[in-house]
Amino acid sequence: MRRGLMVLAGGVGERMGRPMPKQFILLAGKPIIAHVLDRVRDLPDITRIIVCPPEHVSLTEELLAHRNLADRFTCVVGGATRQESVYNGLSYFEGYDSVVIHEAVRPFVTTAEFQALIDDPAENAIYGSSIPFTVLVGHEYVEQTLDRSSLVNVQLPQKFDVARLRAAHEAARAEGRVFTEDASMLHHYGQGRVRILPGTANNIKITQPVDLVLGEAIYSEYVLGGASD
Amino acid sequence: MKTCIITGASQGIGRAAAIRMSRDPEVGNLVLIARSEDGLAATRDAMESDGKRIELVAFDLADLDAVPAMVKRVNEEFGSIDMLLNIAGYAEPAALLDTTTENIMTTFQVNVFALIVLTRECVKYMRHSASKILNVASTAGVTSRPGWLAYAASKAAVVSISNTLTDELAEYGIKVYSISPGRCATELRRKLAPEEDPSTIMQPEDVAEVIATLMRDDETCLDGQNLIVRQAPKAGR
Repeated sequence: MRRGLMVLAGGVGERMGRPMPKQFILLAGKPIIAHVLDRVRDLPDITRIIVCPPEHVSLTEELLAHRNLADRFTCVVGGATRQESVYNGLSYFEGYDSVVIHEAVRPFVTTAEFQALIDDPAENAIYGSSIPFTVLVGHEYVEQTLDRSSLVNVQLPQKFDVARLRAAHEAARAEGRVFTEDASMLHHYGQGRVRILPGTANNIKITQPVDLVLGEAIYSEYVLGGASD
Repeated sequence: MKTCIITGASQGIGRAAAIRMSRDPEVGNLVLIARSEDGLAATRDAMESDGKRIELVAFDLADLDAVPAMVKRVNEEFGSIDMLLNIAGYAEPAALLDTTTENIMTTFQVNVFALIVLTRECVKYMRHSASKILNVASTAGVTSRPGWLAYAASKAAVVSISNTLTDELAEYGIKVYSISPGRCATELRRKLAPEEDPSTIMQPEDVAEVIATLMRDDETCLDGQNLIVRQAPKAGR
């Protein structure tokens, strides 16, 4: 089986209020994306790409060279949206059977969790966790209640059959529909069942400034095992 | 078999560390770095080389641009880098008003910049558990030393670098040690305190023994702090 891994690194950092893309912001002393690269660098038998905007290619390649990882990752130019970036990334995996998609700003997924996703017998699988708070539908007024026990907090990494994911993307492009992530798209277009593996609360996406504070705490306790005195 | 890189191995603590590490059964390859070919050869002659590969690298660490290629070649030749002992040091004692820009630059080039660059390049190949880095600072880096401004400041930097790298490299399982020898009978000490009788103070072999202890696999608790290495005055003196 030919497997690929796609790290989406198209962030612009608007919500972080920083001039630099958020994947390059330092967390626990190293760029957020470097945490991800360290987790996936030694996964066996998988082709790794980083999908990033054209203006970030040289910076990303420099970061790879500094870590002696240039021979393990290839930078691929993404699109204007997340969905287009995944589509562009898929074109790199022509002839591949399976692809794992991850985001550069989810730094706390362990190598073992990546491997468990890859090894899971389901051809399409994602990580998901329960939602520990109440959610409602509405804007200025409550419009509808939701049963949180039936909902899932969708996480990455996600694994898909390449042909099925490509078919879903082609259908979405034909209809001009936009999805926030790929499991929803695959499900919507009936391209197979998507298994949900239990995710962890540590798998946060660094989106807002407060996430950096949380991230430092998670790094200290979860990655280093509470090494700080 | 582990590969150990030792800088400043042509004399003093570096030479003593090389000799001591050559007796470590877990170390199979020793890469000795210093400017002096003759000094390196003398160190090799004093080492126990049974079954070990000893490579002498006559190299000026002030040539920062050449460091990456040198480290890459070492890794390719030996297959891994497991220990890095940053021992090379430079001192040119002078009072503030006599301290030249050249003195400051050379001192920091050898004691600080080369240490950072060499460590950076080695870490590219060291990222696996049980690797160790040891930096030799000095008690001059943690106390006031009038007349040793550039040297003392550079050693303070080494302590700081060690602290930071302890945390930054913890995730990779790399342990970073910092030791600060007090008065020790080296050539460098002779420059700093020319009137001192070297036979009355700590010997490089004593420091090398501490280094060997810290490099042992079963030593896992003394990283991340600046260890003062000193010898109490002998009774009767």
